[in-house]
Amino acid sequence: MKKLFSVFALLLIVAMALPACAPAAADCKSEEVLCVGLVTDVGKIDDKSFNQSAWEGVKLAEELGATVQYIETTDAKDYDKNIATFADEGYDVIVTVGFALGEATAAAAAKYPDVDFVGVDQFQAEAIANVAGLNFPEDQAGFLVGALAAMMSETGKIGAVCGTDAVPPVWRFGEGYRAGAAYIDPAVEVNVVYHSDVGFDKTFVDPEWGAATANSMIDKGVDTVFGCGGKTGNGAVTAAAQAGKYGIGVDTDQYLTLPEAAPRMLSSAMKMITPGVYDLIKLSNDGALPSGNYFGKAGYAPFHDLDAEVPAEVKAKMEEINAALVGGSLQTGVPPVKP
Amino acid sequence: MQGSETKEKKPGRAGKMFRSAMDAALVPLLAIFTALVIGGIIIWMAGGNPIQAYAGLFQGAFGSAKALSETAVWATPYILAGLAVALAFRGGLFNIGAEGQLALGAVAAAWVGYALPGLLGITIPAIIHIPLAIGMGILFGAIWAAIPGALKAYTGAHEVINTIMMNYIALNTVSFLLNGPMKDKDPNNVIARTPEIALTARLPVIFPDLRVNWGFILALFCAWLVWYLLWKTTLGFEIRTVGANPDAAKYAGINVKWLITLTMALSGALAGLAGAIEVVGLNYRHELGFSLGYGFDAIAIALLGKTHPAGVVLAAILFGGMRNGATRMQFLTQIPVDVISVIQALILLFVAADEIIRYIYRIKQKEERLVLTRGWGG
Repeated sequence: MKKLFSVFALLLIVAMALPACAPAAADCKSEEVLCVGLVTDVGKIDDKSFNQSAWEGVKLAEELGATVQYIETTDAKDYDKNIATFADEGYDVIVTVGFALGEATAAAAAKYPDVDFVGVDQFQAEAIANVAGLNFPEDQAGFLVGALAAMMSETGKIGAVCGTDAVPPVWRFGEGYRAGAAYIDPAVEVNVVYHSDVGFDKTFVDPEWGAATANSMIDKGVDTVFGCGGKTGNGAVTAAAQAGKYGIGVDTDQYLTLPEAAPRMLSSAMKMITPGVYDLIKLSNDGALPSGNYFGKAGYAPFHDLDAEVPAEVKAKMEEINAALVGGSLQTGVPPVKP
Repeated sequence: MQGSETKEKKPGRAGKMFRSAMDAALVPLLAIFTALVIGGIIIWMAGGNPIQAYAGLFQGAFGSAKALSETAVWATPYILAGLAVALAFRGGLFNIGAEGQLALGAVAAAWVGYALPGLLGITIPAIIHIPLAIGMGILFGAIWAAIPGALKAYTGAHEVINTIMMNYIALNTVSFLLNGPMKDKDPNNVIARTPEIALTARLPVIFPDLRVNWGFILALFCAWLVWYLLWKTTLGFEIRTVGANPDAAKYAGINVKWLITLTMALSGALAGLAGAIEVVGLNYRHELGFSLGYGFDAIAIALLGKTHPAGVVLAAILFGGMRNGATRMQFLTQIPVDVISVIQALILLFVAADEIIRYIYRIKQKEERLVLTRGWGG
């Protein structure tokens, strides 16, 4: 027993001394050092989606000489704590990923007025001085791939399988797809199905429903399926690829993230999160963070394996539409929210 | 180690209590230590520095007032849910349903918090509103656990199966409610959550700038209450007797069927209280995805604390500290927070299969083995 007591006493002393061994954090409180932090939504940093794209934008800031760091959130009640971990250490810019962090970001912005916040996908209903809401013209991205689908379809029938239309970005993707197809050829039949019949926790994680919906569309002659809604959309695109039809991904270049569908992945409707995040960090560093909503760019992913199948006129038309959308001469006509 | 016994002075009562506490704590402490060592090896193999990682973890858990406050915030539901599971274990029952009981408790408390004033058309004073919200959470948790308890008592259906099934029913019901009738109808909101509860329904924080609220004190009080119930009241004696040997209890005149139901109900009440406190003291609403996994962590905490309220409190603080400190560990050393889940799983493994620890450290089996559940020929 005595031996055990002394072992425990030793362990206790080690435990006391332990905090002293913690590595020192970078000196972010000083003016010259630019420190950028990223707080993920509940999920991992290498999720091949939002969190990862945003992190890559933050990493680009290292060119500006910044120290960058991320915290992965494991429980929604930690949002405030995770943001505060960066803010208390004197971080200059904090990027929070996902609309679920919108409220926590706004609260933190009030508490830490000297810190700049970049909220990815957080629509700012009212402008807060030190918060830039990075939003994307999803309707433009949808428009681009809708036009592509209309041009590439051989049957003249295309479809989209999306999450719930209660989420404005999803609705904009779907309606943009419809508008883009109509722009090329109003005779093309467009079937956009939203998974609005289930709850919020299921609408983006229902691959079986996505696959079943895509298959029923394919049975009716659809030969291009746009998956726009997390894992639900992934199920649809994978089913389309397995049936030998074209699939179109969403948010990021899903050719890289959905290997099962990659051989038939025509393109993806992309939100250019990485350059968007980097641009805002740069603006913040220059002291010019635009408060309120900042619109990043939309784009479409390269054709990868199917590059040879896409005719040169189609490629040229896509670039023309992209330039017109970005330049502003072409409008999608999709309202910001579902009326 | 035992050899010098005859030469030592006879220890006094305090000394005896201390010795017995140390004996009881030995295996759990060694389980934690071994798990940390293995965790350190994993960190090192993944290219990190285990000392720095644990230092960061410790700093994040206990290194500042804010850290202590956040650890207390995490520990509060862990203490209550851990007590729920521990109490059931003492009664010879395995309550895996803490997760569902907690969720229903949270939703019930949220409803009282946001819907009741509107329904009655008055502002309810805090002195009534808070206990009412908490009480509703306790009630729903108790009912939800009493159902599998009664099924076990009167039909022999095993509570392990039923509580797991009841979890699914509860969680899906909560999902339905939060996406439908109870959803926050604010036009800016798309998330599945209730509206915020009224100001009069909120448990105040203890210190002005920190999140720790009176729910933590309430949880500690409940630990004392459970101890008092189990060891100082007749009812508690009956619960423990049924847990130790239901046949002997029956022949001693205890109404075993009623007691099994009651034990499960009390267990569910504690789990429901955990959910209610999260709503009333911390989040001020219930959202889909809040408080996930606490009911299952509670099983590990109850076992680590050897189903004794004092042990449960300490285990809850440990687990809460680890969950809280993981953020700082990741912030300072970039070690992913998943390492904490691995360590917690190892702790549970070593506590549940304590033969491993006894074998490694050559400890003889001193006290009775804890029987966790009966009904499958055991």
